[in-house]
Amino acid sequence: MSDTSTAAELCDLYVDNVPVSGASITVFRNPGTQSTICTSNEIAAQLDELQFDLGEGPRWEAARSGRPTGSDDVSSETHPDWPVFGRAAAELGVGALFSFPIRIGTVLLGVADLYRLTPGALDDAATSRALSISHRVAVPAAETARRSADSPLSEEGRTAPALRREVHQATGMILVQLDVDADVAFGLLKAHAFAQSRSVEDVSHDVVARRIDFRELTREP
Amino acid sequence: MDGTSREARLNAAFVAVADSLTEHYDVVDLLHTLVSECTQIVGATAGGLMLADAQGRLQLIASTDESAELVEVMQLAAGVGPCVDCFNRGAAVSVPDIAGSGGQWPDFSAAALGQGFHSVHATPMKLRGEVIGTMNLFLAATGALTDRDEAVVRALADVATIGVLQQRIATESHIVADQLQRALDSRVLIEQAKGAMAEALNLTMEQAFTALRSYARNHNLTLNEVSSMLTTRRLSPQAVVDAKSNAAP
Repeated sequence: MSDTSTAAELCDLYVDNVPVSGASITVFRNPGTQSTICTSNEIAAQLDELQFDLGEGPRWEAARSGRPTGSDDVSSETHPDWPVFGRAAAELGVGALFSFPIRIGTVLLGVADLYRLTPGALDDAATSRALSISHRVAVPAAETARRSADSPLSEEGRTAPALRREVHQATGMILVQLDVDADVAFGLLKAHAFAQSRSVEDVSHDVVARRIDFRELTREP
Repeated sequence: MDGTSREARLNAAFVAVADSLTEHYDVVDLLHTLVSECTQIVGATAGGLMLADAQGRLQLIASTDESAELVEVMQLAAGVGPCVDCFNRGAAVSVPDIAGSGGQWPDFSAAALGQGFHSVHATPMKLRGEVIGTMNLFLAATGALTDRDEAVVRALADVATIGVLQQRIATESHIVADQLQRALDSRVLIEQAKGAMAEALNLTMEQAFTALRSYARNHNLTLNEVSSMLTTRRLSPQAVVDAKSNAAP
């Protein structure tokens, strides 16, 4: 069994046992060092990327509160904690979102984000299965993330972007271009992507390919 | 002790043990509470609690007093004595008359009698077959514990055992989470440093990585350390390639 199929199987556990359309698993301690373990399809991948880019969404709410969170009806409910993500998710045709914290013991390791195309709550049995799967995936998800981070070679793909290495490479380049620290460089990268309605990964790809230079972007007109 | 005061005493003991099982409890505090409550309940003179270390040797963790004499009695009991027997068997070991115990543990018996202890009762700390230590109560009088006292001591020891095991699981969880976080942080730093090298010296990411790794090896530093020095400007990209001519592409 290859590493990638193991990681994908962790997402499959949710999709096969809980009535949802897709799932993603991310591991993190803070939004900057998020590692995406698996995404089960394109919409799950886009929901993952949006939450990474925006730093808002049920994932971060679940991480903050330590409790399952989400929305039973994404397009009609208001989402005071994640207005931008809520709108974007509705535009993708997502009906309901369910985020489950993943813990080892009492320590939060990450979140499983589940979505369904049709609105509606998960019943108690489905919720309890999702909670139990979240318990089972914790150690393999942590191991997958650690193995992937320890490897000098990037094996990142569209459905398992892991740490999004190009984003951090681009951060390092901007750090030199503007003579700022890494947090500021990362913030500028995200701000530029948001202003251009592009994903942070997309912009990062252009920075690494030297098609975007932040010296030119920030130059006074 | 009459029925009412005994019941009050037991309730207080369980509350005291449960109280020390709060979110950020200290295992040693919990075990001190356990051994002192049990000592009072059975009317013992002294008590000591031992947990097995990673090598499986019993170590004294908590006792009703810290006198050298009691420590010595406990150590003897853990070497060749009732405590180690209790630990190895995973069952209570009661010695109702130490003087008449038939020379089974001569050193332990002599030391215990020297302290005025005439009986000892060792209770295993165990959960589902896993024995993690023993609690040992020393009495001035001879005689076995009553069944009621024995049951109470066992129940309190069981509660405390769960507390100890929970804390161990929590510690292991933190280790897994910390290792993971270090791996993620380290990788992010390395990728940032590659970007900084590539930008400053017009290298490919691969060339940047090779230069960083070569600098780290030549200076006995980890890749993580070099990356951190670079992104916080304690090391310049040029210095990384200048340090060793063959590090440059």
